[in-house]
Amino acid sequence: MSQTSEPVISVSDLRKSYGDVQAVDGISFSVGRGEVFGMLGPNGAGKTTTIEILEGLRKPDSGQVRVLGMDVLRNADAIKERIGVQLQTVALYPRLTVHELIDLFGSIYRRHLSTGELIDKVDLDERAGARSMDLSGGQQQRLSIALSLVNDPELVFLDEPTTGLDPQARRSIWDLVKDLQSSGKSVMLTTHYMEEAAELCDRVAIMDHGHILEIGTVNELIRKRFKERAVFFDTHPSLSPAQLSKLGGVTHAAQEDGQTVLYSKDVPATIGALLAMADRLKVEPRNLGVRQATLEDVFLDLTGRALRD
Amino acid sequence: MRTLWRLTVANVKSLLRDRAALFWAVMFPIMFVLLFGAIFSGSGETKITVGFVNEENNPATAKLQEAFENSGLLVLEVGTLEDEKQAMKDGQVSAVIVIPKGLLEASGDNPASIQLYIDPTASQVNQIVERVASEIANQYNLTLAGAPVVLTVSNLTLESEALTAAGYLVPSILAMALMQLGVFACIPLVQQREKGILKRLGATPLSRWQLVVSHVFERLLVAIIDAVLIIGIGVALFGVKILGSILVVAFLVLLGAAAFLALGYALAAFLRTEEQASGVVQLVQIPMMFLSGIFFQFEFLPGFLQSIGRLLPLTYLADAMRQEMVHGTMVAPMAMDVAILVGWLVVCLGITARFFRWT
Repeated sequence: MSQTSEPVISVSDLRKSYGDVQAVDGISFSVGRGEVFGMLGPNGAGKTTTIEILEGLRKPDSGQVRVLGMDVLRNADAIKERIGVQLQTVALYPRLTVHELIDLFGSIYRRHLSTGELIDKVDLDERAGARSMDLSGGQQQRLSIALSLVNDPELVFLDEPTTGLDPQARRSIWDLVKDLQSSGKSVMLTTHYMEEAAELCDRVAIMDHGHILEIGTVNELIRKRFKERAVFFDTHPSLSPAQLSKLGGVTHAAQEDGQTVLYSKDVPATIGALLAMADRLKVEPRNLGVRQATLEDVFLDLTGRALRD
Repeated sequence: MRTLWRLTVANVKSLLRDRAALFWAVMFPIMFVLLFGAIFSGSGETKITVGFVNEENNPATAKLQEAFENSGLLVLEVGTLEDEKQAMKDGQVSAVIVIPKGLLEASGDNPASIQLYIDPTASQVNQIVERVASEIANQYNLTLAGAPVVLTVSNLTLESEALTAAGYLVPSILAMALMQLGVFACIPLVQQREKGILKRLGATPLSRWQLVVSHVFERLLVAIIDAVLIIGIGVALFGVKILGSILVVAFLVLLGAAAFLALGYALAAFLRTEEQASGVVQLVQIPMMFLSGIFFQFEFLPGFLQSIGRLLPLTYLADAMRQEMVHGTMVAPMAMDVAILVGWLVVCLGITARFFRWT
């Protein structure tokens, strides 16, 4: 979290409705320079509306929205020169080639990177002469990211950059985002993959029904919601749950699918006591491990439903 | 300017690489010129309105007039020579038949002649009018057997240049091509909105006017290519002579393309998907193709279809093109054609500005 300088995004009490539907209902957050900020939530949570307001594509009903220190309503054009945008639907001229599209987008900005450099960056060298309609989903998404970087932006918006991609293509997008992060750019992305948010984001906002439910680093969110961690090992008849639940730090013990799980507030104490007990009984707990609660668990806890429902 | 140019090039490339769109924009009209230019023949059985001038008003010529009226092919508008010639210029009649003074006093040395004013570009009409006049003249000669009066038919043309059917078709098909070019522009626009290309460009500093102007540039460029190809084929293969000013023709090409582009954009304001757009575009362009006097003389349409045709902008673009290029008969005076096209342009632009949505 580097929020020493002025934030690149600051939003306060933003609202937007479509007819009767309150898509964004009074949210506030800010994103610091150099930060990768994730907005996490199911479809219809209001993520895309929020990001499109920040990009200058939609007008807010009320609230203050500043991007790179400028008001989105008054300085839209100046903001657009300095941000990079990747929209949820890959939107390209289908019959233009990778090279032609990057050239075209470059010509729109006062300042732009060389086409060859960008093609290289997103690893599309072999497909430079291919029409965008002939690219695979992952390649199209990489092209779309190349187009969002064409003006060497300070702040990049990525709206569900990996939705619908296979794991390998997703990895290659993640690598691109990590490159952006290490080159000092600020990134705001939306996703409904917990794993993605955990992997990429410095901080995450969890959004549902137009509200931000919780905001913080992934670890903060998990720690805040789940004080216990799970110590697990293959079930052994000599190690009964009744005895185990009395070990140090354990709140309760459970057995499922041949595995015994001890939920613990103090993992080192629990493991120490467990090993001492096993030693006394001359048995060995096999496949011993510790598992943390995940963002998935946090979301479930916050909204009462799984994210991908 | 550089951005505008690049964007125009992007649009042109997209069109050139889209075979279906390219076919409609360029190949389709050229195919029509070649096809219809080559095989155009035959005549209709519709009644033709002609001016009838009887300068020798006596019982004998009244009988002649009756014969014309009973021919079953002609509807007579009786009037003075000046009035009927003007009516022909105004497009109200397709030809003028004149019974000159002293017709029945003619002698063998000085054969009497029924005079016809015809439009050389309207070959179908001319064939019918000439046939009727010749037959009546023959019958009259027979019934007056032994009399020293011989009736023949002589043509007086209002134009000096003799033209072929292709002379009618080439300007008409050029007008049709411009109509299609404009109306079909609806499809890529709806497509770009549907795919989110317009939205993506909206997230760049590109202004909307640059976007619109690049679309218009692309289509006007194709309009010019169409015009050159179609007129070129007409002149080279079918011997069409361009009688009017190239500058006026160029003006009409641009005005026509602009008016129909505006119509295409106005349609795009109400259509959400590419499928809708493809369907509606056909619904708009096909009736225009057939009711605006493109493939056959406007005159040949039944009355109620003519009334529909008179509501369609293509009727006036085709009319203006024919008047300027080959001095064809008018559906309306040139100034009115131009005014109607400008009117369509303005109204459609207004509708587009009011209702068009970018996302």
